[in-house]
Parts: sequence; C-alpha cells; structure tokens
Amino acid sequence: MTYPTMLRLTGYGDKWSVEQGDTVDFHVSCDGPATYRAEMVKLVHGDTHPGGPGFKEVAVASAADGTYPGRAQAIHAGSHAIVADRRPLRVDGFTLQCWIWPTMPTKVDGYWSPGPQTIMGKWAEGLGYGLFLEEDGRVSLRVDGQTLTAADPVRDRAWHFVAATYDAATGKAVLHHEPQIRYALDPVPEPVMATFGPPTHTEVPFTFAAHPGSVRPDPASLEPGGWLMTDHYNGKIDAARLCSRPFTRLEIETMKLGAAPGMDERRSIGPSADLGAAVIASWDFGVDVPTRRIVDRGPYRLDGDLVGAPARGMTGHNWSGAHTQWTAAPHEYGAIHFHDDDVDDARWQVDFTVRVPEDLPSAVYAMKLTTTDGDEDYVPFIVRPPLGTRQAKIAVVMSTIDYMAYANEHQASNFGSLEALVYRTPIMAPANVFLSVHREYGHSMYDTHCDGSGVHVSSRLRPVLNFRPKCDSVITQAPWQFNADLHLIDWLTEMGYEFDVITDEDVSYDGLERIEGYNVLLTGSHPEHKDGPYLDAIHAYKERGGRLMYLGGDGFYWRHTFHPGYGRGELTEMRRCESGIRPWQAQPGEYHHQSDGRLGGMWRFLGRDMAAVSGTSMVAQGFDVSTYFKRTPESLDPRVAWAFDGIDYDERLGDFGLVGGGAAGAELDHVDTTLGSPPHTMLVATSAGLHTDAYLTVTELILTNAPGFTGTQHPRIRADMAFHETPNGGGVWSFSSISYCGSLSHNSYDNNISKLTANVLDHFAVDGPLPRPDPAEVRPRGRFDSTPALNYHLPEDTPP
Amino acid sequence: MLEEVQASVVAMRGVAGFSVLRTEAPGSAIGVHGGIQDDVVLDKVLTRMRMQPTGAFGGKLVIVCTKLEREWRIARLSGIRGVPPTFADDRVFTGEQDAQAAILEMRFDQYPAEDGMPEHCTPAWKSRGENWGA
Repeated sequence: MTYPTMLRLTGYGDKWSVEQGDTVDFHVSCDGPATYRAEMVKLVHGDTHPGGPGFKEVAVASAADGTYPGRAQAIHAGSHAIVADRRPLRVDGFTLQCWIWPTMPTKVDGYWSPGPQTIMGKWAEGLGYGLFLEEDGRVSLRVDGQTLTAADPVRDRAWHFVAATYDAATGKAVLHHEPQIRYALDPVPEPVMATFGPPTHTEVPFTFAAHPGSVRPDPASLEPGGWLMTDHYNGKIDAARLCSRPFTRLEIETMKLGAAPGMDERRSIGPSADLGAAVIASWDFGVDVPTRRIVDRGPYRLDGDLVGAPARGMTGHNWSGAHTQWTAAPHEYGAIHFHDDDVDDARWQVDFTVRVPEDLPSAVYAMKLTTTDGDEDYVPFIVRPPLGTRQAKIAVVMSTIDYMAYANEHQASNFGSLEALVYRTPIMAPANVFLSVHREYGHSMYDTHCDGSGVHVSSRLRPVLNFRPKCDSVITQAPWQFNADLHLIDWLTEMGYEFDVITDEDVSYDGLERIEGYNVLLTGSHPEHKDGPYLDAIHAYKERGGRLMYLGGDGFYWRHTFHPGYGRGELTEMRRCESGIRPWQAQPGEYHHQSDGRLGGMWRFLGRDMAAVSGTSMVAQGFDVSTYFKRTPESLDPRVAWAFDGIDYDERLGDFGLVGGGAAGAELDHVDTTLGSPPHTMLVATSAGLHTDAYLTVTELILTNAPGFTGTQHPRIRADMAFHETPNGGGVWSFSSISYCGSLSHNSYDNNISKLTANVLDHFAVDGPLPRPDPAEVRPRGRFDSTPALNYHLPEDTPP
Repeated sequence: MLEEVQASVVAMRGVAGFSVLRTEAPGSAIGVHGGIQDDVVLDKVLTRMRMQPTGAFGGKLVIVCTKLEREWRIARLSGIRGVPPTFADDRVFTGEQDAQAAILEMRFDQYPAEDGMPEHCTPAWKSRGENWGA
C-alpha cells in the first residue's frame, strides 16, 4: 500500500444543501483511472459496523448518471494576497518595508510544503524584486537572481521589522532586519549590503505570502488570475510599504507611519513631504477586515485580493492590549496571518452538474463515484423543499456547520494526546492517512495549522473526507457527525415516518420561514457549532408552539459566523477563546471574528446558554465506551409519562448501541436550571454513576482545578434526558447524548430507545398545540428551587 | 497488565468503542469493572504512554484500518506533517480491538521504564509540544 495513492477518487459539490429544482456542480479528481462512473443514490444508513443494519443506499435515476473522463485535480493551498501588475509597481530603485511575525522560519525534513517563504514582492522565476525568508530562517532581499541575506535568522513568533532598499543608480542594496524584542544574549542587528543589477519586470502581480511559480499565468487554471503560487509564508505581515527610491534608515523609520491620505492643506500624502512624494503603496490590512480585499492607502489605489481566507483581525506589531477588538482599534490590527495550508476553495474544474428534479423528495443524497479498479467515493448533498413550503410535518435539521467544523480533521496524526483523550489507541482510516500527507486538503477547526496556530475558518468548497457515509471517527471508533446523523435518517425511514431534510445553513440564511409550519424539528447527534441567526430562528420557532427534539449531545456550544465575502454557507468562522473544550486557543486580542467583529467563543459566555436552546447543556465528554439511562421518578409525572408508554420503569434504556455500545455516551448534557434549563424542566432519565473515568467534566465548569472531575467520581457527569414545555403548545425533548441515535436500530428497531423516541416524536408531531398541563403546574419557580438548602431561592418561598 | 488488557479486548469484541475494562458480557460495554478501575498502576502506565507526543521514541504507535470492518494493522506516526504513518510490522488483525493489546506489549519495549524525572530533562522541556494546544 502506497499511502498517497490510497485515495485516487474524490470530489465535492458546490452546495451541501440544494433546493428542489436547483443545480449542484460536482468537481471530481480521478487520479489514475481513465474514467469513473457517477450515480445518484439516496443515503439511508452509513454505518458499516457488523453489529448494525449495515450500509444502506437506494439508487435514484438521474440525468447526471454516467461515465465521465477521469482527470487529476490538485488543491493549491496556501493563503496569499495579489495586487495586479500595474506600472507604479515596476520600480527601478525602491524601498520595501514591513513588520513580520514568522511562525515557521525553518521546516523539518519531510515537511509537506518545503522551501523558502515569500514575504512580499513582485518576483517569479528569478525575475523581479521581493523580500523572502530563506530556508535557514534568514530574511533576504532578492533582485532578479541576486540574493542579499540577513546575518541572523528570525525568531519564530516574534515581531521583526524588515526593510530593503535598492539604488537603481549605483546598484547598492541594503537589507535591515531588526527584532522588536532583543534579549540579553541576542546579537546586535546590523544591516547587510551588496551591489546588484536592476530588477527585470514581468507581468506577475505584486504578492504577499507567496509568489507565482511562473512569470506567465496558466490560462487553464481557475486560481485567481491563473497564477499558481508557490513558496508560501507562515506568519503575520503588517504595515507593508513600497516606495520609489532608496531611503536612509531615518527615512525608513519615518515611513513606518505610512501614508496619510485624506487632507490637503494640513499635511502631505506621506509622513513628510519628501517621503510622501515617494510613496507607491502603503497597505493597511486593518481596513475592510470582513472582506477578501486588502486596501492600499497610497495614491495609486493598489488594492489587492486575498486568496485562501487567511486570518484577519490579527494583532499587529503595535498592539497595546488596551483594546481586544479589531473594530475598536483597527490601527493596532494591521496584520494578516497567512498559512501555507489555508484553503478557501479548491477551485477545481466542474466535471458534471446535477439538476435536482422539483419532485425529488427531500432527503439525503450523494453522487456515488466508482471506477472499474475498485475506487469509490460518495459526495453527499441534502435536498430541501423550496422556502415557504413543507412536504411533511417532521423535519430533520442536518448540521452542516458542524460537518464543516470537523471537516478533514487530523487529530490522530497531529495530536499524540488524542489517545489519552479517547482512552484507547485511535484507529485511523485510509482517509486519515491520506490527509496526514495531503495537507493541501485543509484542516478542521479541531486542528492547528502546520505552524501551530488554531484553524478558525473552514470551507466546504473542497473534498471533505469525513462528510461521507462508511466513515468512522478516530474519536469514537464509530460514526460521528454526518455519518452518525444517518443513524437517525435510517430510523425515521425504517419506521415509516414522512420527513423533510433541511440544514442548519438553511435555517441560518432563511430564518424562521425555513422551519415555520413543521410540527416538530429533529436535530442531529451533535449540533455543537451554530450561528446567531440559526439560534434566533429556533428560539422563535419554540416560542410559537414549535416542538424540538434534541437528539444529540454538546449542542449550541460555539459561536459561528458565515464569512460575508463568500457565498451562502461556503465558509464559516469560529474562535476558541478563554473557555470551553479547546484543542487550541486564539492568541490574546484575537477573540473577535473577522467576519463581523463580534466576540467569538462559547455561546454560553455571550449570554446564550446551551440549555436555553435545548433544555440541557454540555457537562462531560469521554470516548471509550457508552452506557445506558435509568428513569427517574419524574418520568412518572403526567407531564411526561406518555413518553414511556410501553417501557417499564426499571428498564435499562439503551444498554446497547453502535456508538460506544450504549445510548448515553461520547458527549453528555445535563439539566442545570442555573445554566439555562428552564425552571420547569423535567429530568426524566439519567446516566449518573454509570460512566467510566474516561469521562471528564468540561473545562468551563472547572473553576478551580482539584481532584474528582472524572466519571466515577463526579455526580454531574451524566446525560440527563429532559423535557420542558414552551409557550403556545410547544415543547423540547432533550436526549442529551451524542451516542443516542446509534442505539435506535438495535434488535431490528424494536428496543426501548426506538420506542421512547417514537413516543416523543408521535406526541410532538400532532397538529395543533400540545395538550396543556394541569393548571396546578402553572406556578412561580425559582432557578434554585431544586436546591433549597442554598440561600438562593425566591423571596416569596422563604419560610416565615 | 497485559493480561488485563487482553481480557478487555475479549470483553469489548463487537463493541464500537474500547476501554481497558471488563464488562458484564462479551460484546457489551455495560457493567464495566476491573481493568483500570481496579488496577491503579495499569491506569497510570496506560495514561502515561498515551500522553506521549506523536514522534516520541521512534514514533507513536497507532492503528490503521486497512480493510473496512475486516483488517487492521499497527503503524508508527511520523510526527511530521506530510510524512505518513508507516506500518510497524507485518501483522494483520482481524478484530477491531485486537491491536490494542498488541500495542501495549510493543510499548513495553518501545518506552523506557522511567521518563519525565529530573534526570531526563532535555532542552525540549522548555517549550510546549503539540499536545498542549494553548
């Protein structure tokens, strides 16, 4: 087995949710075989575990079915900026200066993207000028094929001022490299000098963080301008300037102030009259942060385009810490952090287009790709009804934002301690091995970039190898997210329910209209990542009598935004701040989204408790094995007893299942009326006391680290099944466990989890409001009513 | 220790998950007992080994599924982004859990009996590795 060729056939659709009557473009890479076959299938069950019902697909005739010519398509990862070639950029003499914060000055042998790194310039194939980081970590000035290299390498994750001058008359080149912090034993930085011939100008653009591999664009490429870029940079660039003559060191220092447009009588275009006359470009990356543009404050408007969605809203060399939000102090957020593994769009050619018939039922579909050599891949898409219509009383909301958050995760190959987290040696699938090599497929929000910084944007315009059926996660040794949500699709199908399938993307973009009218909404197994408009719509739906079945765990945890510079649902952003379970943490001052300037992180710390959405909130996680629920006395209450029709009080609920072997597992939610669970919440079943020590309390609930936060010790490590009524005849049922849906199919769907789920669904799916509870149930309730020993209860409850 | 892990492999055979614990019946994850819940030393040894970074001591051992639901092999992580895991030996396991015990046995050889004490201090101690994301 040669790993890199293990996955020769893959692709992506330009939409994950498509409306009936609309089209989806499919982009396919078939690396080797001359042809491949594409066929539309409906996906029903994606779990291949021998203990379950097995993989289920249904062929669906499509006009797009057929055999297509195979061709390899590559992803050109790496973010960069491009300023189109214009006359002012074709300088003779020049001064080029900026601040850099390099994050990977040197690379280890075997690194997937070896070579020097481009800071900025107009350079390709040994022609032009520019600033670089050479492979030994030293800054260099290149003028055509001539290289002037600084004396010492840069320090990673430290600001350095870099400037280069070139005198066209004398050929004198000077390179300055000055660390912002100089430790006691650091060498004194000294400029270096050389004499060079003049630069040769070509049609290549002026670029940041990468340079074109050729002096001519590739007309067949869909990369912007046809420029295929190389020698990508990892790190930040701030306050870049290009001027038309060689400056003295003092002039360079003054030019740090940059251009000063916008006044006439009072000041020059530059920091002084003499310098102003030499300004060609003075880029300010702190402007237009939520866009794909970089802005030049100089007189020529040499604005540029960003490719690859690098990190913006990044602290610059002059960040003071007085403001932690780029919108409050944009002049301190003039940096862009580029990564060699950023991917915003694979930009593959379209291989075929599927027109979704208007009468194709709403469901989960895929284009099944195969070759005669045995290659196989599935490219899923979800077909939704047109806005304002519904074709069933029940709708499943698939979690596309979550699928994007986990897209192409690399935890098994990147993080050794994953093994401690999951309490067993993880099992990598061929796709995980492929991704460990092919870093150009991009990372998930659970990964760090190759330079160690957190991945806070994710695009779906690329093959996402875990947005697939037949896919187990290294986390659970079982399906996760999309493939786990097919457990629910399968159960609904086998039980004969009629249901629509929509996505969270649709709810986010279409608002309440997308879900209004459904009698009941069902979430997937792990709706953790959501944006504000989605939560607003769900809130409105519940308040107007809608019913929500939360069929998972750890829901509504992280705040997302869709990037306004991209199309509907194409690119999502999430920042991990100072709390929550985090595989990485954003840098100080970088907690606010580049998409909208607002604070990121956990919804809880933005005033939207998870349990306020779903009735229960994330309390613990563990990934070795799952367990079961036991009913509580509250389950006998008439408000909820209907859900347990046909289930004995002492039955173990879900002591079986395809995710960890039980219905309560992986990530667990509990009732907490101080964390958003409404005070009238009924706690009807729980897995308290049944979990292993692999289950650990979430970090945000550990205010002081102390022993006793593991599964066999802590009373709050439990999944609580819960119910509460919402206004106007609505209600919420929380199943509170990621592994829950994996238990639905046990014993040919004849089991107590299946029974309980059907009871709740049937109750919630009726037309009109839910039956009103006994009037005696309407009474004031404090949030701490359940813990009267504490002195927090309402004043009216105080004993006389 | 090895015996206890092997017993858990037998107990968890057929479970979509794994822990070094015995269960109430083979193929069930329910009624966990024994294993790391009884043997504190075993729990500590396993955790210590599991916390090792990807490239430690010649590469951390991992399981690779080579045929869906049918075959699994042991590989070594490279610790380098872009360098794939390489197979550690020729063994092919036909049970999903079987390699768990085999890896423990290999690690007794792979890892030193003692690590992390003052006498093992190296320059690498001065900066965090990939295991500590913050």
